[in-house]
Amino acid sequence: MKFIILFLLSLTVNAQSLSEKLESKKYYFTALNEFFLETYNKDITEVTIERLERLLFFTGIELLEDYDQKLLEKYPTSSTRFILGRTYFQKKDFKKALETFSKVHPDHRYFPEAQLLKAQIFSAQKDYEKESETYFSCQKAAEKEESKASGEKIKRYYRMIFEICLVNKARRLFKEGKFRESIDAYDQIPKVSYKWPYVILEKAWAYYHLGDYNRTLGLLTTYKSPLLDSYFFPEAEYLASLTYFRLCLYEDSSIIISQYYQFYRPRFQSLENTLRANIKSQDYFYHMMFSSTKELENQQDFVKQIVTRIKKQTRFSLDFNTIHKVDREMELIKKYESPAAQKEFLSHLESIRENMVNKINFNAKTEIFNFLETVPFFSNELFKLNLEILSKKKDLIYNNKKLVSDRSRGDYSNVQRNRFEYFWKFDGAFWADELGDYSLGLKSNCEIMRKEKEGNQ
Amino acid sequence: MKFLIILMFSSYVFAEDQKVIYQYKKYEKFDLGNLEVKGELIAPGDISVRERDRKRFELDLFSRKEFDSFIKNDVQGLR
Repeated sequence: MKFIILFLLSLTVNAQSLSEKLESKKYYFTALNEFFLETYNKDITEVTIERLERLLFFTGIELLEDYDQKLLEKYPTSSTRFILGRTYFQKKDFKKALETFSKVHPDHRYFPEAQLLKAQIFSAQKDYEKESETYFSCQKAAEKEESKASGEKIKRYYRMIFEICLVNKARRLFKEGKFRESIDAYDQIPKVSYKWPYVILEKAWAYYHLGDYNRTLGLLTTYKSPLLDSYFFPEAEYLASLTYFRLCLYEDSSIIISQYYQFYRPRFQSLENTLRANIKSQDYFYHMMFSSTKELENQQDFVKQIVTRIKKQTRFSLDFNTIHKVDREMELIKKYESPAAQKEFLSHLESIRENMVNKINFNAKTEIFNFLETVPFFSNELFKLNLEILSKKKDLIYNNKKLVSDRSRGDYSNVQRNRFEYFWKFDGAFWADELGDYSLGLKSNCEIMRKEKEGNQ
Repeated sequence: MKFLIILMFSSYVFAEDQKVIYQYKKYEKFDLGNLEVKGELIAPGDISVRERDRKRFELDLFSRKEFDSFIKNDVQGLR
């Protein structure tokens, strides 16, 4: 069968091997499979490595995750080393992972991502100096690759790696208790970045630890903007409630808690029940990703919001791009190749496609359930916070005292800011350039005074 | 037994002889203005809550100290 296909293809293309003929016809996925079959039992030469890199440039490396580890070890290319290093990293075999990543060429397109993973290994090994150095190297390499990239999507991929390395440095500073420095690092993420909506919550925590509760609440207000309505985090609700609690504004804190319990929690429960019914499905979540807005109408708003967030991920973009390229190759084969050739090649392409669909389905499912898992945790924390509010109120009654609540609600004098921080007045509308720069002007209500008789008040 | 019978009989006889009649004043006047009571006033003049310290059990509220899980999710979100 292969001989016939080879003969047919040789009529149009003058090449040496079947994989090369397939490659010349731009059947890259099929050519890659043939390439492995042709070269596995032969000596790997410089030419072989160059060819593999060229094929992987067109196919991407997503499908290599399904290949046998021993097969990949035979081909010492930077792409295969990156995939192998990642596998060792996931298995927590850090020694082997570091060895493998160090063999990824500094000019290779996967070098920045390899540096990102290396930095995380150093972090796990508590070698913080090397971690910091490697994040810096990751940023440099990502910037360099971004400037070389031609396509918008590839540029975005490198920008994302750059920002993750930068954010991880900010997170390290946060963990060390250097909150001001961590805020400075977070501020380097531009507002147009895909990472920025996630950074708001982290910055809000940093301000919380600095005791700048007004800035914390201002940052969290940003999530109420229509532009960010797909970003709903139970943790942001909890932090807002906790911050009001620290300002002794118990009523404001209680409003958030009761809203969470009355509005969000029942919806989360109904959403979880619907999704759990399809947890074993191989493609339910995949199809959900491609459902139209009309089809998603029956779902909770959270589903639409999570779907939008997942679609913005680099991982989804890469995987879906692979499916798109496989589909196009299948169409070409069906259109231009003989039935014998179709029979030979299409089944392999079908299996690649199926694996990618399963991968997208699994990732979407994991993402949704990870999100849902945060719900009971923060419900529990909000419940505890509610108990604390009740306890504080009881204390006041028992001590015949009250909080100073007759002062003004907000004032500019209560806003802390440095010369680089903006201040925008909120006039009932969110403006894109103002987002993330809000601060409330509330004065702490924690001053306790003796409760006088009603008549003397 | 003999002793018990004698005791019962003697008490009956005693009750018959000693019939006491108590008689109270039919009218008595108290001048409350002149009445003086010595002592310390301890009853509160108004309803009040006595201030006292309550045993406090503070709950350990969640406060984020690190973003390790966020770092992990970011890497998983790449591919």
